[in-house]
Amino acid sequence: MSTGNDELDEIQAIFFEECAEGLAVAEQGLSAMAAGDVSADVIAGVFRAVHSIKGGSGAFGHAALLAFSHRFENVLDEVRAGHIAASAEVTKVMLNAFDILSDHVAAAQGTAAVPADATMLEQLDAILEHKGMPGAAAPAPAAPAAPASAAPVAEDDGFGFVPVAAAVDDFDPFGFEPVAIDLDDLAPAEPQAWTVRFGPSRAALANGSEPLLLIRELESLGGAIVAVDATALPGLRDLDPEESYLVWTVSLPGTVAETDIRECFDFVAPDSVIEITQDAVTETPIVVEAPAAQAIEAPMLTLVETSTAVVAPVTATTTAAEVRTAEPAAQTIRVDLSKLDQLLNLVGELVIRGSILSDRLSPVDQERVELPELSRLTRQIQDNVMSLRAQPIKQAFSRVPRMLRDLMAETGKKVVLETSGEMTEVDKGVIEKIGDPLTHMIRNAVDHGIESTDERIAAGKPAEGTIRLSAEQKGARIVVRVSDDGRGINRERVRAKAIEKGIISADAQLSDEEIDSLICAPGFSTAETISNISGRGVGMDVVRSNVEALGGRVEIHSTPGEGTTFVMALPLTLAILDGMIVRLGDQRYVVPLANVIETVRPETGQVKPTSPTQEVIELRGSYLPIRRVDEMFGFAANDRRSPEESVVIIVESDASGHVGLMVDTIDNRREVVIKSLEDNLHPIRGLGGATILGDGSIALILDIDALVAASGNHSKFALKGMAA
Amino acid sequence: MTTIQETETDERKIVTFTLGTQMFGIDMRSLIEIREWEEPTPLPSVPAFIKGVTNLRGSVVPVVGLSERLGWAPSVLHPRSCILVVSIAGRQAGFLVDEVADIVVINGGDIQPAPDVEVNDESVIAGLVKIERRTTDTETTEAMVLLLDLDALSLIRHLTDLAA
Repeated sequence: MSTGNDELDEIQAIFFEECAEGLAVAEQGLSAMAAGDVSADVIAGVFRAVHSIKGGSGAFGHAALLAFSHRFENVLDEVRAGHIAASAEVTKVMLNAFDILSDHVAAAQGTAAVPADATMLEQLDAILEHKGMPGAAAPAPAAPAAPASAAPVAEDDGFGFVPVAAAVDDFDPFGFEPVAIDLDDLAPAEPQAWTVRFGPSRAALANGSEPLLLIRELESLGGAIVAVDATALPGLRDLDPEESYLVWTVSLPGTVAETDIRECFDFVAPDSVIEITQDAVTETPIVVEAPAAQAIEAPMLTLVETSTAVVAPVTATTTAAEVRTAEPAAQTIRVDLSKLDQLLNLVGELVIRGSILSDRLSPVDQERVELPELSRLTRQIQDNVMSLRAQPIKQAFSRVPRMLRDLMAETGKKVVLETSGEMTEVDKGVIEKIGDPLTHMIRNAVDHGIESTDERIAAGKPAEGTIRLSAEQKGARIVVRVSDDGRGINRERVRAKAIEKGIISADAQLSDEEIDSLICAPGFSTAETISNISGRGVGMDVVRSNVEALGGRVEIHSTPGEGTTFVMALPLTLAILDGMIVRLGDQRYVVPLANVIETVRPETGQVKPTSPTQEVIELRGSYLPIRRVDEMFGFAANDRRSPEESVVIIVESDASGHVGLMVDTIDNRREVVIKSLEDNLHPIRGLGGATILGDGSIALILDIDALVAASGNHSKFALKGMAA
Repeated sequence: MTTIQETETDERKIVTFTLGTQMFGIDMRSLIEIREWEEPTPLPSVPAFIKGVTNLRGSVVPVVGLSERLGWAPSVLHPRSCILVVSIAGRQAGFLVDEVADIVVINGGDIQPAPDVEVNDESVIAGLVKIERRTTDTETTEAMVLLLDLDALSLIRHLTDLAA
């Protein structure tokens, strides 16, 4: 192989990306099938996805993944062909098989251990063997566990479903073998055998599309090489050992479906020679009987003598193109994410330059049509670039069904998932980061929210719990809701627990919402027994801190006995922040709008000192602590402004609740492009980054949570994330 | 001496500048640009030698008081104060220097190792080299240039040391 390790890694990375996409498609299809949509399109979609994974896994030598996906594909193929009915039981087994397939992909990626798939393979084989669930349509829950090899006809007799099985057998006279790899078992050429001429593209070997694998695939369909055309082979001197010159003719039995043959060529370069003809006559006499492997491993040495040094150009046939166009896939290209980031950065720059330009022009010139036009265009470009990074939130939702199945198995609870708005588009960075919070919320809902089946029935609820997962865009935010119809938050217990853990004092007066939000307090867990699921030492506090780190917020709405809803409000993008520009001394800062509750211009006497360095503001009867950003940062100006000349911004923070930030003035509210400090320096606690303002100067973006938390233990801010 | 020619591999170009009365040099290949001094935006909780951050064509770049960083008295700002923007291991930083002097070609063989004595941060000096320095149009004098090891001046590295 000419590909170096780096290149190979790169191609592998693409393969895994494709796997992830394929798994998503397969899961979606299987879920649709489970929901009752067993149309040919859906089944074919699942089949194609698994088939692609199989194809790639073979090429990269992931044997376990290949073996499993192959068996899985066989079942899917039969379902697709209508030989196996896509019954609820079969779909259920396939969903479980899908889970194991995901595990196999993860194992191939090196992120998980190779899953134990023996039982699942037996189940799949059993389905293949019986053309449906062993025991046919029997809804017996024990059915999936019936091992294939030990499920003889006698057992079917026992169930009394022989007639059905026999009928299916009649319908399928060819007797498809579950594992078609044993090509020797297959009967040779039926009438109207297929003849496939395959000449890999010149660069096939360099591109990692090993022709041998393809020929093996054809062989697994029952094909045999009947001829090798070596006319394109140049003389030894001109021979590039890394190029591919040969054209193979493979004969396949007529029983093989044309689509199966075509699918073998799914992954070949478009300039390959592919001719598939159905002809009773094999026109070429058998020239080379050598197994494909030998021909590949030492092709140049063994075959050079037969070449007459005529370099016949390998012409691209249109057949390949036809195969391509048959695929309905939308046209997409893969772009390195960093290129998009760079583009977004540049566009952000353009916006800033635009406003600098505007600032420098006289008011009359600013009104001229060119400038608004220019800023409109710039804004459009910005929106477009941001939309390039946007992905449907489905990607984050897609792991939920699997997780629910696992949770149901662990807890014995029955839960139905309803999702909506999964096509809502969010920045890729946001999607990557909401996976964990989402996982925790779902776990929490199943573990703490949904009651056991008995409990539900006793409470007069449906036996199956429901979890609703929804996403929608509201202005510049994405709102993700996870709601369950479980028991709701037991506020008395939460309160008792919070007092016990010292999170609140025993006499604290809390509203219902405040009690609900206690479950997001660090170190809080109300589960009576530490369960395997939610009690892993990470709880809802992680959800809150993760979401807030993204510039989002978590809200909890709960009605006892009816259920709980978690609401995550997230920014659409991580690159742009909605902020309030404030002025303090001769510096400007950005306060993320997500943290701002209200702004107050203090009246005389509203701000009172509690110590020489500390003040509080009286607001509607309660006292809130005040912080001066410049003092926290140690840039205190000599002449301290009086509170009456200042503005107090009430911000909400995780650790310290509501706090007032005192600033000189508020400039305006605008979107700012976030520039990270760690690009050239390192993260600084209390700062979320920096931005470049319209005049080209830099304003620091405040990280309210870290800032307010850090000012509690007043000293210096610790350096964070140094080693990273 | 100022003829800029890349002839033999052992020749290298350095940018010389002054801090107080001492002349320093850095490898020309690390230099991105020379900018006029502009008051940077101050940062909280950073060592005093980090003056703040400035906008370098859209990137937020830290500005370092090189004199303080090397343990000398802080530079006094004057009209010829300027910022050498350099790239250290892929990260950019601006160094405040008193005055940029020249671009000089030196011979690698002429570099003497730094005497490993006394200095606070002896590791940041990669070596010493003598150059001829024009004083007037006709006369030249010899001057000693302290070559800085930029990798040792990396902000990340320094701060990691602090944290450790």
